[in-house]
Amino acid sequence: MSDDSVPLALPFLRFAARSSEVTVLYRELRKPLLRYLVCLGLSSDEAQDVVQDSFVSLQHHLAGGGTQDNIRGWLFRVAHNQARNRQTSYHRRFGEPLDSEMDFIAAGATPEKAVLEKERFRRLRSAIGLLAESERECLLLRAEGLRYREIGDVLGLATSTVADTIDRAIKKLAEKCNV
Amino acid sequence: MCDFQPKLVAWLDHELPEDQAAEVERHVQACEECRAERENYEQVSRIIDAYCDAVMGAKTHRSTLRWVPAMSAALLAIAASVLFLAPQRHRIEPQSVVTPAATAAPVRILAAESVLSTEPVAHKKIHSRPAALPVQEPVPEPTTKWQPAETAVQITIPAETMFAPGAIPEGMNFVAELSIGPDGSVERLRLRP
Repeated sequence: MSDDSVPLALPFLRFAARSSEVTVLYRELRKPLLRYLVCLGLSSDEAQDVVQDSFVSLQHHLAGGGTQDNIRGWLFRVAHNQARNRQTSYHRRFGEPLDSEMDFIAAGATPEKAVLEKERFRRLRSAIGLLAESERECLLLRAEGLRYREIGDVLGLATSTVADTIDRAIKKLAEKCNV
Repeated sequence: MCDFQPKLVAWLDHELPEDQAAEVERHVQACEECRAERENYEQVSRIIDAYCDAVMGAKTHRSTLRWVPAMSAALLAIAASVLFLAPQRHRIEPQSVVTPAATAAPVRILAAESVLSTEPVAHKKIHSRPAALPVQEPVPEPTTKWQPAETAVQITIPAETMFAPGAIPEGMNFVAELSIGPDGSVERLRLRP
């Protein structure tokens, strides 16, 4: 091996290592990202496009020597911004009638349980529809397991604001859903 | 309303500093109102999670249904292309090996050797003939028929590359089984999960 082969190989090895990291992250975060995006209102196909684009951006980010701190928050922020750019889909969210979804939700349940489940989800859907945009987004990100600090990074809010927003949203839902 | 209630959600989310979390925990054990609120908030969190799962499942289910006809057609197209691209197999015809040219070959070789001594260029021409040419006795007819080495061609396509995530259980594949007969034609085509 010549002396100059090591520095020539290094960028490739670094790229391979980063690719492997991105693959691991993809396996871990693909589903939470998809779930967040479809709950924001994107269709399944749109959500998959956004997830793909987000991971391509991550690959470029890492290959360009970008920071590796809070990669999960970084990915959610990129995906969230891309979803926002698709204004029509983004604003469809929970306002869209979900009757067919309701049938699917209760498909395997007994008739009594199916009725209860449908009613519970209907109440929750209408209650979520009444929340402020930031409250909805904070709740959905919290449902994907993000910490308050990460949610703040995604939405551009202070951590204390995130805590107050989530507290307010949960209390509204608890009241509206009569749980 | 209890003074600790504004901290309950953050405490449930493990977002309070350790000293405050310990304080809230001690309080909740003693306060019936806060215990009831904690249960309410936990219940709401569970319902939100279940609802998000349901929306995700329903949307991907709807998306998958839209793709089923297209994917079925794609599978059939793949199967059909494999049929046409599969190597054609021919039966061995022993009669075609024994030819009049084979019996006449020694004469030609002798002639070639005589030419070889004067014209080296002809050497290449003669040696390009099949080595079987000197055979004078007829080749005995084979006692067994030719059988295909492989009886089936399998195409494995990961389901996750064809369907929306969540629609198909993880790790599930569809397998297209093709059984190819001795004449190269397909005898059986079966798709199974």
